[in-house]
Amino acid sequence: MPAEKRDMPFVLAEHQRGTQRLAAVNIAAEACGLHTGMALADARVLVPDMHIEMLDPARGAAALDKCARWLRRYTPWVGADTHPDSHGLLLDISGCAHLFGGERRMLDDMRARFNRRGITCCVAVADTIGSAWALAHYGPDSLIIAPSGHGADAVMDLPPGALRLPEDACDLCRRLGLDSVAALAAFPRTSLTRRFGPYPVMRLEQALGQAGEMLNPCVPAPEFIVRENLTQGITQLDVIASLTQNMCATLAAKLFTAGQGATRLDLVLTRADNEMQALSVRLAAPSAEADHLARLLATRLERMSRGFDAGCGVETLCLAASATANVITPQAPLTLGHKAFKAPPVAVLASLFDRLAGRLGPQVVVRPVVHASHIPEHAVGYRPVHAAPLSGEADDAGLSTATAPEPQMRPLFMLCAPEPIEVIAEIPEGAPYRFRWRRVLHEVARAQGPERISPEWWPSARRHNSLTRDYFRVEDRNGCRFWIYRDGLYGRETGRVRWFMHGMFP
Amino acid sequence: MREKKYQAEQRRLAVNRLRHKLRKFELVPTAGEAVPSGFEAIDACLSPHHGLLRGGLHEICAAKTGDFASASGFGAHLAAQFADGNAVVSGQTRQSVGEHGRPYALALPTVGLIRQQLIHINGADLPDLLWATEEALGCPAVGCVVLMSLEQAPDFTASRRLSMACRAVGRPLVLVLGAEAGQASTTATTRWQISAAPNNSWQVRLQRLRGSFERPPPMAGWQVFPWRETLPVSDDTVSDNTAPESASVHATAAYSS
Repeated sequence: MPAEKRDMPFVLAEHQRGTQRLAAVNIAAEACGLHTGMALADARVLVPDMHIEMLDPARGAAALDKCARWLRRYTPWVGADTHPDSHGLLLDISGCAHLFGGERRMLDDMRARFNRRGITCCVAVADTIGSAWALAHYGPDSLIIAPSGHGADAVMDLPPGALRLPEDACDLCRRLGLDSVAALAAFPRTSLTRRFGPYPVMRLEQALGQAGEMLNPCVPAPEFIVRENLTQGITQLDVIASLTQNMCATLAAKLFTAGQGATRLDLVLTRADNEMQALSVRLAAPSAEADHLARLLATRLERMSRGFDAGCGVETLCLAASATANVITPQAPLTLGHKAFKAPPVAVLASLFDRLAGRLGPQVVVRPVVHASHIPEHAVGYRPVHAAPLSGEADDAGLSTATAPEPQMRPLFMLCAPEPIEVIAEIPEGAPYRFRWRRVLHEVARAQGPERISPEWWPSARRHNSLTRDYFRVEDRNGCRFWIYRDGLYGRETGRVRWFMHGMFP
Repeated sequence: MREKKYQAEQRRLAVNRLRHKLRKFELVPTAGEAVPSGFEAIDACLSPHHGLLRGGLHEICAAKTGDFASASGFGAHLAAQFADGNAVVSGQTRQSVGEHGRPYALALPTVGLIRQQLIHINGADLPDLLWATEEALGCPAVGCVVLMSLEQAPDFTASRRLSMACRAVGRPLVLVLGAEAGQASTTATTRWQISAAPNNSWQVRLQRLRGSFERPPPMAGWQVFPWRETLPVSDDTVSDNTAPESASVHATAAYSS
């Protein structure tokens, strides 16, 4: 949520049994007397100017997933909570807390970082997943650390709902007068099982540490990963580069045996003081060639060297092929539309693209694409090579050759934006006599036109200024050829027409 | 007797080796390496094989500021001749993108290129662009590299390095220089000066041709009509060139319009 809205009443609504009800409220909304489960109509009466959005479970799940990825800074083992009504995350911090100065500091840090993002959170640390969940959801405080070995004691006073029980089991507890976990735990397990079924008993045992429970990490570990732990921190980048080269060879061998090729590489350098530096490389085509991968990473490392701070030395290098694809040798297409164009050896070109894009930036290395539009600047675009199909053919779909202009009618160079020029021309629709562009006066020797291009009247994502243009091909006395246009029809669309330079002919 | 025969044979082999080495320095095209420029009148002057050396650096300079588009057109035309259907990598500096814009895909057929052939480097620094050129020259799928709109010519060292790269891999580099780039000393195999001429034509002047002549290269000039049949031209269009045979040579049409 944007920062300026954080202090405003904000609610999430959802359809529930035929009415719209509040699914979540923020602190400001709570202060106004709103609460979860309230009908939206009632809430509107109480707070007319609140910000309402419909609950979108998919977006919520995506945000939670993002959170989980971010939380991997504390521990590699982060899992989503499986409880249907819960929006929590489970972290296995065994052996990680000391890196942050103990559990307390770790949680403080975590909470402070969440608060800075405008997210309130309740955190709890305990021996088992079940007890930690119970303390986080039902605990008396928003930050609880159950002393090691006493997690079970900490949950004893909590209501039975803290055991992640389903709705009907909670109801049954209430009717039986079991108002705490302790009361439930006092019963013999066999009679509990008879009464409640096996599931609540399992939950109870999990919370008390009598049954095991596994945590499923929601961020799958990449399959193709090479890790290099060094006994001594290294500070020289060229040493890192040569280590990376060896790692690439190992990774490539792994990929090759699986018949896969990397389309994205991530290299994470971890310094001895736990600072991380990451770089990632995208590939145009899946590759399992060690040399190619190593060259791409070397280029990126070289570029990184400017902002690189080795500090007390890099201790761990982790290279992962985080996205892979099957390496396929594509069949050459039978026809390519144009007789002269030979299908390029895809792999060879792709490796060139990777190297160029790696150094120059992915937005710089482009291929021309054609769109179905008659507005000249919209008819042609450039697309990064990584986004465009390698064969360069698929983008022609929906483009009829009948409407394409004659190549001679279009300039070889088109300016990035039309530049205004001063023109002397016959009013209303004559060809120009002379014009001044970039402070140089050009006398028109020949002119051809106009080619009238009307604006797109239909709703389109690419709207331009919506005036009719009359294009002229003009040649000045030196023989230089230009493409200029008059913007707007004199008298009909505009009172004062303007002229623009749009391109140059060879 | 046998000893003498052996020595003679050794000598012959040594001479052959030296010849072979020398050929590398001399830039004499063998028949397979020469590519026709696409204009018969120009090819006639490009002895001995009537074409341009594939493994070479070809420089095309705009005569005046306004001639840049024409120079690029000629450069792109040569690139299309060289590439022969293979991929063409073109590059532009950031400054030139701002000044001249970018190649317009729908007009590429006018210079013999197909949109699908083109891989464009859309605005980079000159050092990055030169690096990219070298990379592209090393790629077997690339038919030709063309650097368009360099306002600043690469210095002699860079030019020499690119020439060597071209020769080593047998792939051409076409360098289109703006009028502002000036006449820097280069190691180019050929150097052309292009200016736009009236009636949809180019005035092409060959300023330099390395290597392949017994006689010194003529300062040849032509008026080229790339898009239509020869048109009547006034005689004073190419007045100041010294080549006797090329006062106003009309190239044949390369494309039918």
